[in-house]
Amino acid sequence: MINYLKSEHYRLLRKKSLYITSGIGFLLIVAAAAVLHYFPRIDPTFPYATSTFFYSNVVAGWVLIMLFALIFNLALTGKDLSVIKQSVSFGISRNTIYWTKLILTLSYFLLICLVGLLLAISLGENLLNTVEHSVRNFLIACFNMLPIVLSGFFMIHSLRMLNAGESIIIFLMFFIFYLSGNILRALFRFIPGLDELYKYAPNMLLNDNLVKFLNHESAFDYRFWITGFVISALSLLIGVKKFAKKPID
Amino acid sequence: MGTIIETYQLRKVFKQAEVIKSVNFSLKKGEICALIGKNGAGKSTFFKLLSGQLIPTSGDIQLFGKSGKEMEQAKKRIGFMIEEPAFFPNFTAYQNLEYFRIQRGVVDKKRIHKVLEIVGLAHERKKKFKDFSMGMKQRLGIALCLLSSPDCLVLDEPINGLDPEGIREIRQLLKRLNQENQITILISSHILAELQLLATRFVFIKNGKIVEDLSRTALDEKSKKQIRLVVNHPAKAAQLLERAYPDIQFQILPDQVITIQNHIEVAGEINRLLVENGVDVNEFRTEVLNLEEYFLGQVEGNNND
Repeated sequence: MINYLKSEHYRLLRKKSLYITSGIGFLLIVAAAAVLHYFPRIDPTFPYATSTFFYSNVVAGWVLIMLFALIFNLALTGKDLSVIKQSVSFGISRNTIYWTKLILTLSYFLLICLVGLLLAISLGENLLNTVEHSVRNFLIACFNMLPIVLSGFFMIHSLRMLNAGESIIIFLMFFIFYLSGNILRALFRFIPGLDELYKYAPNMLLNDNLVKFLNHESAFDYRFWITGFVISALSLLIGVKKFAKKPID
Repeated sequence: MGTIIETYQLRKVFKQAEVIKSVNFSLKKGEICALIGKNGAGKSTFFKLLSGQLIPTSGDIQLFGKSGKEMEQAKKRIGFMIEEPAFFPNFTAYQNLEYFRIQRGVVDKKRIHKVLEIVGLAHERKKKFKDFSMGMKQRLGIALCLLSSPDCLVLDEPINGLDPEGIREIRQLLKRLNQENQITILISSHILAELQLLATRFVFIKNGKIVEDLSRTALDEKSKKQIRLVVNHPAKAAQLLERAYPDIQFQILPDQVITIQNHIEVAGEINRLLVENGVDVNEFRTEVLNLEEYFLGQVEGNNND
């Protein structure tokens, strides 16, 4: 596994897409901060040049973060999946391939998210009007988002390893992370005991997270971890099981 | 002689179609075995089952006597090249092999240069894989197979896309690897004449089943000759032949042509028999069938079984 990890690392560091995707992500953060910083010079009554508003864009931008996870994963695994056959025929187990690729891409994804987070905080604290406890609230809100974002990443990885097309991945992601709350609410609203299930849906949790952040009421919420765990476990379980038997051409 | 690859009742079913039908096959150490079959006969599927790209529906595979999980370790002693070699398009040949060198735990970095030199790609330093010609891709695929100094090579159509000079070079390389390094080779190709010049054993596969398994000597014997003659009275000639040789196998073809598949050793007698009985023999020759003719005959012939 170590050799496979090393070889994948060699490949990953030589992928232009790693640098391009990360660069675009950082550029968006800097551009948002710059706009909020310079707008008050044009309109002195502009009320959003605050760190809270700036951070709220990150908390509200979970769809963008998921999209970034998808692009990141596509960039790193995308067309290179065909090369897997050379590794399988050399006796590297499919389990090793599945988990190594996940660990490596996830590590880099988390590293880039962390750098992005630090960049956002440093820009927010230095360029914009700071609000008391905004950083603490922002970090709590991000911590709540973490299991949902991770579950999305796991789902994307599993689907990519099974060679699912981009459109299928986007559709499934949209369904599970964006529509599931409304669907669950409509389906179970008259069934006692299940009528509250929708509150565990990713979009409901993430919207709730944003509202609490804007109200300066951010607090650790275990529900994110329950939902994240369920989606992650299902994605990984199905992914590993199916990949173990998948024909590799 | 040790067995490198062995399959027992190997089957592969895709949905309703049985692509590999209970194949029993063994490859002995030191052989160069040619797997011959038309497109769709099951050659690549068979190779993919050996390499682990496909999971068998039933049956067993043993590599170097190991099966199950132990087989994964045994695979490291085999270099597989199945269908078109796949590499990272934006990497050079060196970078691609470096990726696999790390993955395969080959300590000696110079090995990359050595295998690139063997396949004639050492000078292509800056060219990216996506800009390679088909022949160059095939060469790089062979280089990858050789990277970890294997004991056996499994090559699916390795001379696809190569020019005649390239084909000759690869053939010489494979012969050299077999003779000097004792590397066992299982190879398939649709350029049958090339296999005839290379292989020591010939296995014919049709509709997922092995229909014939011959040594070079047996193949030469089986496919060696037929008598072809052009006469003025084919019907009279046929009567004379049947009377003189009751077990004779012959065919009457258009343009007064007769081909005789046995009794080749008494070709002179046959000629004399016809002439002495008033049949004019305008053409008389012994033809040598090549492997391709034999293969087509064998496989097509079985279509009418």
